[in-house]
This record gives sequence, C-alpha cells and structure tokens, in this order.
Amino acid sequence: MALIEQSLNRRYSLYVHEELDELSESFTITDPSISGHPIVFASLGFLKMSGYSKEEVIGKNGRVFQGPRTNRRSVMEIREAIREERPIQISLLNYRKDGTPFWMLFHMSPVFSKDDGSVIHFVGVQVPISPKPRRSRSGVGRNGVNLCEDGSRMRGDIVFGSCRREVCSDSLVELGPVLDLESVLDSDSRGLDIEETCEASDLEKQRAANAIENISSLLTRYSEITGRLVCERRCSLPGAGVLSSSLIISLGRIKQSFVLTDPHLPDMPIVYASDAFLRLTGYARREVLGHNCRFLSGEDTDPSTLSKMKESIRVEQACTVRILNYRKDKSSFWNYLHISPVRNASGKIAYFVGVQIEEGCKDQVRHGLSPEMRQLGAVGAVRVAVRSLSIGAGPSMS
Amino acid sequence: MNMVTVKQVEDDTLVSKVATHEQLKCPRFCLQGIRIPLYQFSSQCLLDNSPFEGLPCIPEEEQSILDSLLLAQWEDRVWKGVLRYDVTTSEIKVICGQRKFLAQLNEEWGINYMPKHEEKKICSQGDLPAFKWTKHHEELLFCVASGEMLKPELIPSAAVPDGAVLIIINEIPVEYGHVFLVPCGSDSFYRVLDARSLEMVARVAVEINNCSFRMFYDCPAAGTSHLYFQACYFPSPLPVEFTPVDTFFRDGRRGMCISCVTDYPIKTLLFESNQKVKIMVEVLVEICSCLQEKSIPYNLLISDCGKKMFLFLQLQKLSNSRTLSAWECGGYFLFKSTSEFDQATEEAMLKKLSDVSLDDEGFEVVKQLCCSIADKFSG
Repeated sequence: MALIEQSLNRRYSLYVHEELDELSESFTITDPSISGHPIVFASLGFLKMSGYSKEEVIGKNGRVFQGPRTNRRSVMEIREAIREERPIQISLLNYRKDGTPFWMLFHMSPVFSKDDGSVIHFVGVQVPISPKPRRSRSGVGRNGVNLCEDGSRMRGDIVFGSCRREVCSDSLVELGPVLDLESVLDSDSRGLDIEETCEASDLEKQRAANAIENISSLLTRYSEITGRLVCERRCSLPGAGVLSSSLIISLGRIKQSFVLTDPHLPDMPIVYASDAFLRLTGYARREVLGHNCRFLSGEDTDPSTLSKMKESIRVEQACTVRILNYRKDKSSFWNYLHISPVRNASGKIAYFVGVQIEEGCKDQVRHGLSPEMRQLGAVGAVRVAVRSLSIGAGPSMS
Repeated sequence: MNMVTVKQVEDDTLVSKVATHEQLKCPRFCLQGIRIPLYQFSSQCLLDNSPFEGLPCIPEEEQSILDSLLLAQWEDRVWKGVLRYDVTTSEIKVICGQRKFLAQLNEEWGINYMPKHEEKKICSQGDLPAFKWTKHHEELLFCVASGEMLKPELIPSAAVPDGAVLIIINEIPVEYGHVFLVPCGSDSFYRVLDARSLEMVARVAVEINNCSFRMFYDCPAAGTSHLYFQACYFPSPLPVEFTPVDTFFRDGRRGMCISCVTDYPIKTLLFESNQKVKIMVEVLVEICSCLQEKSIPYNLLISDCGKKMFLFLQLQKLSNSRTLSAWECGGYFLFKSTSEFDQATEEAMLKKLSDVSLDDEGFEVVKQLCCSIADKFSG
C-alpha cells in the first residue's frame, strides 16, 4: 500500500492530489511499475460515475469494472496498448458497483519520464457515451460473443466491454467528417452481434482527448517542482521508435510525398511521414506520427472515395484514388493518392504506403520521370526498404 | 531435396523465346516501331580515370533516376498483371547456422507454367516476329544506352538504339524487381560475354545506386546462344558478401584488387575496384573467356552498386547434373514446398555448394590465370 501512496508523491509535488481532485472529469491514474498495475488515483468524477468509494478502488486493477458482456478483443487491444506504451481510445462497456452496465469512451495515454523515456503512469479517462443504438455498418467490428463464462476466466489486466471499435488517439478530430478506416484486424469479427451498438460522437472523442491533455499538462506542471519531469510524449518523436533506424535511412532517400501506416496498431496510425508529405500538408512530423490519415479529409471529401480506400485496405489490395484533402491551414487540394500494402521479408503485410501527388503538380516531368512514374518508383523503393527489414531465423512462423 | 531449377525460369520467358526462334534474332527488325523509355548514360563514363564513386550526376542521399525508373516500371507491370505472382508474399528466412544462408519459400516459382496456348500456336506457325515483340511489349520495361550528354538523360519514349541493353521483366521473379538485361548489338544479340556488355550492366548497377540491387550472370549452358544478365533487389546482402577475403593481387595505381573468398564452400574470387571499372571489366571478361575455353562453369554476382564482382567457379559438370545459379552460389536458395523450406539445413546447403565447386588444384590454376591477365592489363 505504501508503494501505491508514494506512486504520485515520488514524481509530483504534494499538492497534485488537490489539483487532480479539482478536475471534473472521470479518470484514473495507474502505475505499471507496481505489481498488478494498480489504480493509484481515482477522480471524484470517476467515483461518482462508478459508485465505488475511493478505498474500494485504489490499489485495484481496472479489471474490477469488467462485466459479463466484456469484450475479449477490447481487452486484448488495451493490453497491447499498455505493452506497447501507447495511447488508445476505445468504446467500452463498464459496470457500476450496483452491477448496472454503462457505455463509455475509454481514452488511455501513457505519461513518460523525461529523463529516460520510461512510462511512469497511465492516465485513463472515461467519457460516458450517450446511448444511441443503431445498426452496424459494414466493416464495423464488434465482438459480441457471450462472455458470461469466458469473462470470469479471463486473466487480463483490464477487462472492459466494447460496443465497437472506434479508435482515435489523436486530437485532430475537429477537422470535420473523418475518414473512417476501421482496422483490417476487425474484419474477422463481423457478424457476431450483440443487442446494441454504440459509438462515441466526435464531441465525446474530443472531450476525452481534451481531458487527457488537461491531466497530462497538470502532471507535467507538478513534476517540474520536484525536478523529476514527466511528459506526454516520449522524448523521441512519437511513433518514430517503431521503425528501425536502417529503415528510416532507406526511406529518407525517397523524396516523394508519402506516409507509412501500421495496420497492426489500432486505428492504423502513421508511423513514417516523408519530408515532402510535411511540406505538402503543412503539418509538423510530431503532429502526424501516431495519427490516422483521416485528418487529411474534410467536409467536401467524397465519402465514396473514402469507402473505396477502406475497402482496398480491407482486401489488402493496392488502389489509386483522386481525393480532396486538406492542409493544416484548411486549404484543400486534389490528391492523386496511391495506397498499397507493403510486405516484409516474411511475406506478411508490415505497412500500408500512401503516396500523394498534388493535382496541380501532375504534369511536372522531372528528369524525364512523370509524377505517376515517380509515385510508382517511390512505392517500389518502399517495398525494397521494408522487405529488407530484419529477416527471421529458424523455422517458418507461418 | 528437390531444388527448383533455373531452367524453368527460362522456359517461358521472352529471352528464351527470343533465343529459340531464328526470326527473333534480329532485334533491329523486331524492335521496329516499338517505343519504350530510354535511359542514356552520360558521356562521363567509367572508362576514363575518374574515380568510381561520386559520379556527380548520382546523388548519394537520394533515389536515383534509374532506380525510380526500374522500380516504377516494375510496379506498373505488377498493376497490369504481367507477373505470375506477388513475390513479396514469399517468406525469406535465415537458415540456422554460422553461414546465415538465406532461404525463400516460393511455391509459385516451382510450378512449371504452361506456355500460353495461343502463343505456342503462333510460334509453331512461325508467324510474324514483329508481332511477338508487340505481344511481349509489356515485358519490355525500358532500355539503357550510352549517350553524349554531360548528364544522364531519360527519354520517356524512344526507339531502341543500336547497342542498347534491353531491360525485360521476369514474370516469374525470384525476388522483387527481377529483370533480365539483354544487350543487343546492331544486328543480333550477343552470344558471349564481352567487355562492352559487362561494362554497360555494371554501369546500370552503379547508376541505380541502391545497395539492395544485385546482378547476376550465369555462364551459358551448351546450346544457349544468347547473352543476358539478371538482376533483382535482395532484402539483405548474400552470405558470400559477408565472408572474409584474402587479397592476392593488388594494383594500387589502378585501384583494382583480386581476392579469394576464404572458407566458403564454393571456390570464389572477388574483384573490386574503386576506379577504372573498364580495366576490371576487361580483366574479368578475359578470365571468363579462358574459363569457357577450359569448360569451367562460372557465375558472376555484381553487388555494392557495381563496386564488387564475385566470380564463382564450378566443377566441369557431368552430363546429368546442373550448374547452380549465381544467387545459389551467393548463398540464397529457393524452395518450392513448406516442408523443404522448414527442413533446410546449413549442412545440406554447404554440401550443395561444395559438390559443384571447382577443386583446389583447379582453383590455383585460375588464380594464376587471374594474376597473369591482370598483370598484362596493368602493364
């Protein structure tokens, strides 16, 4: 228990408790360095929402809020996010003390030590989702298997219910209608239905992201006083650590505008963005890494184009589309976008590459290479670079 | 262990068709009316005394034009469905052991593709050769030729000039970007390895300037009448490239040295040059022609953006055995079934290589030959 009490005090000045109590949001702070990954702080909002007292919550693992309709896939995703020390935003079904379930948008984000980049805490924000049952759409993954039996046997760290995957770990959702690229990982769970679905609105997602922002900056502030600084992002560029330096060097030789996204991470975040992409879109690298490409879409982006892209990603095929995209300054441009899965030396899809050509530049022939040729040349070079990732030894993994 | 053979690759390709049909031996005629991208080397050539590295037209930190061109054309044909399969779905692994031999599981490659029916008909009727070329136009990616400009130049659409090297896609690739490089003379394809052809393809390697790019040459089997090279992008250096060498000839003035690769199961020589590729190429070609006279089968592997050329020396083959391909000599093996792939062992690969290797005595003779030829050119 002493460890749990000290968890916050070690990093932040004593007044941090009072400041955290002032916040109206429902959230918890957990410490992954203590065995069992316990809750070390629960906000008043959280206690009110869950019906538990502070004493009943502190020291417990988040799994105490699990219920019979707990979703195995969501549990796995949250566990993966914890393991990979990255943020996750996911709709979940939680249970109050009195046993009544409620939908909420769970947004969890790590807090890093500024010194060595290790994870100090995870902040988990719960935003209640106003119920709005509706039919599921194609590609929406839900895993509604009856978990009454499974749930009790689960050994997960955190077990929550999930109504649907709608992961969005970025703060750029205000850019209007979003490109709804559900992870391809979900396709296998379609058809397994439960009685209702729910999806967080953009407003709710924004609220969750804002809450994380507030709490993190408060923690950062209170760590300054102790000198044991924490920060929201690992000191290296977020997402950049995912790629090996040799791959980054190879990719750096490709001068076209392109991004790599990782289909194995929730919401298919960007894990590499070329300099030309940043010039084209006006964003800084840290603003795009870790985020889904949907921030490029805007209100006049054709939804049918987005669904075409989504479909080609689902079936793991290449496609070329002409899509209206938006820069950071909200100006729009027509983008001849080529998307293709890219495989590693194991023959498995490691990333998707998206190579952009701005329409106005379409006729610019450089060194005899048309923009389309340069686009395909970039795709090929990315394939060569990604296939050159470390080759596994020993027997086949397939 | 059933190793797939190179023969199958050649069976249904443009190159072999070209070679097996008399009408097609005249590319000048056959290529008439065909316009493809033409990459012209700069006049600043590898012949003179300029250092090998730092051709000013090839920026180090950027993808080169030739690399973009080859990859773009390859991707374009992937799009158009020219290839029989997506080779990047094939798994590559390191075979357990010190040598780090590479194994690729490629179930498609082993399949003996049936020639397309209609093509066969046309061939048997000995129909218009020009039609064949048009038919295979999609396999023709582009060509490279020498030029007069100070910088290399890419002409998006041009007739194939005399003395060009045709870059033709291999629709049954062993790895990404697999192409044939076919030098064509003014009236026919070449039959034997000549210095000009080797220099042209070495220059392709230099100007592609991609460290994943490897080129291969297998000395022609009896009955083969055309000269061609192969190339592709490998995900990692081949095991032979990691193996230590013992340099026995060094011409400091001309920046060339010849080494034997030590402790490698197949007898291998390494030619390196940091300038004057012309000399290295001329020495190598003369050595190769001597080997051919002596009926010593050999292969070439060009790596490190053209700076390194490996010469693998095989045993004069028995009637039934086949020679290994250059990538096999380099330590890269293809398997057509999962069980073979899973069961591949370093011992088996070592044996495979050592079984075809030239013996110690023969190797000494070749080394002496190298020294005397290199001395002659250095003089």
